[in-house]
Amino acid sequence: MTTPAAAVEDAFRTEWGRVLGAVARHVGDLDLAEESTQEAFATALRTWGRDGVPERPGAWLTTTARRHAIDVLRRRRTEADRTATAVRLAAPLEGAATDVGPTGHDPDDLDGLGDLDDPDGDLLRLLYTCCHPALPLEGRIALTLRSLTGMTTAQVARAFLVPEATMAQRLVRAKRRIKATGITFRVPPAALRAERTGDVLTVLYLLFTEGYDAWAEPATDVAGGTDRRALAGDAVRLARLAARLLPDEPEAGGLLALLLLQHARRDARNGPDGVTRTLAEQDRSLWRRDEIAEGLRVLDDALAVRRPGPYQVQAAIAALHARAASAPETDRDEVLALYDVLLGMTPTPVVALNRAVAVAEAHGPAAGLAVLDDLAGDPALGSYHLLPAVRAELLARSGRPDDAAAALRTALGLVDREGDRRLLHRRLEDLTGQRNDRR
Amino acid sequence: MRYLMLVMSTPEDPDLRPEDAAGAPPIEAWVERHYGSGAAVLGDRLRPPQDAVGVRVRGGRALVTDGPFSETKETIAGFDVLDAPDLDTAIAIAAEHPMAYEGAIELRPFWPLGLDDAPDGAVAAADAHADGGA
Repeated sequence: MTTPAAAVEDAFRTEWGRVLGAVARHVGDLDLAEESTQEAFATALRTWGRDGVPERPGAWLTTTARRHAIDVLRRRRTEADRTATAVRLAAPLEGAATDVGPTGHDPDDLDGLGDLDDPDGDLLRLLYTCCHPALPLEGRIALTLRSLTGMTTAQVARAFLVPEATMAQRLVRAKRRIKATGITFRVPPAALRAERTGDVLTVLYLLFTEGYDAWAEPATDVAGGTDRRALAGDAVRLARLAARLLPDEPEAGGLLALLLLQHARRDARNGPDGVTRTLAEQDRSLWRRDEIAEGLRVLDDALAVRRPGPYQVQAAIAALHARAASAPETDRDEVLALYDVLLGMTPTPVVALNRAVAVAEAHGPAAGLAVLDDLAGDPALGSYHLLPAVRAELLARSGRPDDAAAALRTALGLVDREGDRRLLHRRLEDLTGQRNDRR
Repeated sequence: MRYLMLVMSTPEDPDLRPEDAAGAPPIEAWVERHYGSGAAVLGDRLRPPQDAVGVRVRGGRALVTDGPFSETKETIAGFDVLDAPDLDTAIAIAAEHPMAYEGAIELRPFWPLGLDDAPDGAVAAADAHADGGA
């Protein structure tokens, strides 16, 4: 038997987004919805011990939160009625959002609404709203995290290494813009849906990379360590949610698979010496087999829809690595073939650079270097340490240690992550034969 | 909610693509559809900037200028006022306009007098200040 406090905590984890989404849709105001959702959980803490845990905690919380929101709206309306602006206030709100269901701008409409049975719909609406491209990108990422997971502003701030006041401002701006531009809590119209779904997946992917990057750092060196690393797990959970809410969108499954397969390697990405481990160097016994298995399953389901996209292709590449018992056993021709596909879909310099590595793996370092030569002038890669780092690797393999060392020094001038810096140092020491114990 | 839909001519936009312009839907269909449904309530084409007339009052005197205040390549070629239930609806309408393909559309939400009396008016004002009024 769980204690009431544990039940509230459990509900917080599983129901926050649903309650918030339901209230936000009805009142059309994320701030009020947040306040009301918080209030509902506070009420639960006070009363579940006395009255017992309700049979459907989510529905109870939604009703309680909505009731609180209605009270606030009533109070606001009473105040507004006393002023001449009430008429002007009401006019533009009449008939608003006719195709998105009741909006609750008229508080008297709210009481009788009983569509509590569509919590998934409300979650999806909340997700589309938080990831709306009319909001600033960093606001979208923060708002998604705050609204869908119930993390406090302070927690979100810690994870992104910014002062709480900065994060609060970011969230306030995003919420104010939702109101000012007339964004409503809805699934986008059909003509915009595909792009908008892509926008949602982008936000989740960026959220993941924030945390994923922290896992490549030496554990002791990660600023905001556990908070930042936890973002990767949060992103996986949100991607799982998105994949469930968007069953007809194989790219949502592709993203989930990609994140699962990448995150499964987290314990192997940095060694006890604090040096980044490349894929080939990682201790594969540290990879989380259960997560890889889930990722492979999700990917197979997504690919079966036969509407491939960049996330599915990237997940398929990750799957080839995950399936190989050791680096030399990787199906290198298949990896290269998939990079060719990916480059066709997203012709970015970073994809081209990754493809160059695949070319070298499949056809030897000389072939890889030839591809790199074509990329050398790209300004987008000018400050990217991986371009000279990859070149150094291929030069070393071609028996040109001096050229390789020069490229490594260039890379060291550009690298910013400590784990990667140590990796480049070690490579340089291996090449030049001087091992001075740098930490 | 009402939006001013500014129809912009952007000849120097590096992202303009002739194939997009070639595939732009005809303006007649757009007008028929959205004025027919009542989503667009008012709009017109505008004469070019050379025909603009600037008016300023400085030191109590009305200064009238011949032509636009600033020489920019980006110009407002026309406008429509949309009455849409929400931003996404307005975006969908804007995305069907031929000038979204050949130029750019800017949606500006109306800001009715009185709305800034709402409780978050102070925040809005502070933000407008922080944004440099943008």
